[in-house]
Amino acid sequence: MSDKRPVNLDLGTFKHPLVSVISICHRISGVVLFVGLVFLFNIFDASLSGAAGFESAQSLLQDNFFAKFVTWGLLSSLGFHFSAGMKHLVMDFGHGEEIDSANMAAKFVIALTALLAVLAGVWVW
Amino acid sequence: MLTVSIYRYHPELDEKPYMQDFQVDTGGKDIMVLDVLNLLKIQDRGLAYRRSCREGVCGSDGMNINGTNGLACITPLSSVVKNNKLVLRPLPALPVIRDLVIDMDQFYKQYEKIKPFLINDTPAPGIERLQSPEEREKLDGLYECILCACCSTACPSFWWNPDRFIGPAGLLQAYRFLADSRDTATEERLAGLDDPFSVFRCHGIMNCVTVCPKGLNPTKAIGHIRNMLMTRAT
Repeated sequence: MSDKRPVNLDLGTFKHPLVSVISICHRISGVVLFVGLVFLFNIFDASLSGAAGFESAQSLLQDNFFAKFVTWGLLSSLGFHFSAGMKHLVMDFGHGEEIDSANMAAKFVIALTALLAVLAGVWVW
Repeated sequence: MLTVSIYRYHPELDEKPYMQDFQVDTGGKDIMVLDVLNLLKIQDRGLAYRRSCREGVCGSDGMNINGTNGLACITPLSSVVKNNKLVLRPLPALPVIRDLVIDMDQFYKQYEKIKPFLINDTPAPGIERLQSPEEREKLDGLYECILCACCSTACPSFWWNPDRFIGPAGLLQAYRFLADSRDTATEERLAGLDDPFSVFRCHGIMNCVTVCPKGLNPTKAIGHIRNMLMTRAT
């Protein structure tokens, strides 16, 4: 009978606190960055293939909205991944391990990411 | 009238668990979730849940209340109910025996692993092993755990590795004995925790701290253990 026992792991029914959302997003942004490398390596490869390739890579990043959007998305992901990573480092030093300070740190990570995303947008466009 | 939606599962009658809705007359009072369950028990005598002390000391009635783990007996309706609806589900990740009653075997196995008792190989003194007030103070925030499993079953690391990751409850107790000045087995205890899963599956998500009904902080204790493991390795 024991192997038939159900388990309540219906994630949609749980309330996920902010600290938990930050944590899962940290992991997701890491995966996004990893997958995004394919795009970046392709452009990098093209830019190194010769003068014509460099031109095309340059025009792609300057004129193509989709390419710009992906670049901006990757930079924003990097911003989030970096901020959340710094939060982890600070936690390793024993700070921000209380629930109030952890929530503050999580909000700070969001604010910093928003700022970095805006800066990345200004830089890309 | 309060609408209560409860997770139901009878091992001999049901193939799969389902949610059942009840209407409960709370008399407009701000009662505890456990009181609501007791009222429901009058409507349906087959409803199964654990409870004992009804004052947050025994740790029997941990459950998932409107999406957050907590003790039904010390959770007032006003702190969880929105739109007049209460949803009660068993604690996550552990096998359900019936309705809100879960099989805590896996949880206790992890607790057993950390040897939750004082180990001291020096001869026992005539009266007792003394501690200074400062040494005793180190155990505050650690010894109060009632093993209700609210924290471990709220922990994603424990969801995916309940057999290999000790979990917040077990690790809080592991640190309780590591921090005890009367315990002489620090080295053996650390050796037992020094693998990629037991401690290091903790990713500092802090769901444990968010839900602990006793206001304890497993994340911090795990940080201390990690530091001890690191110091030991260098």
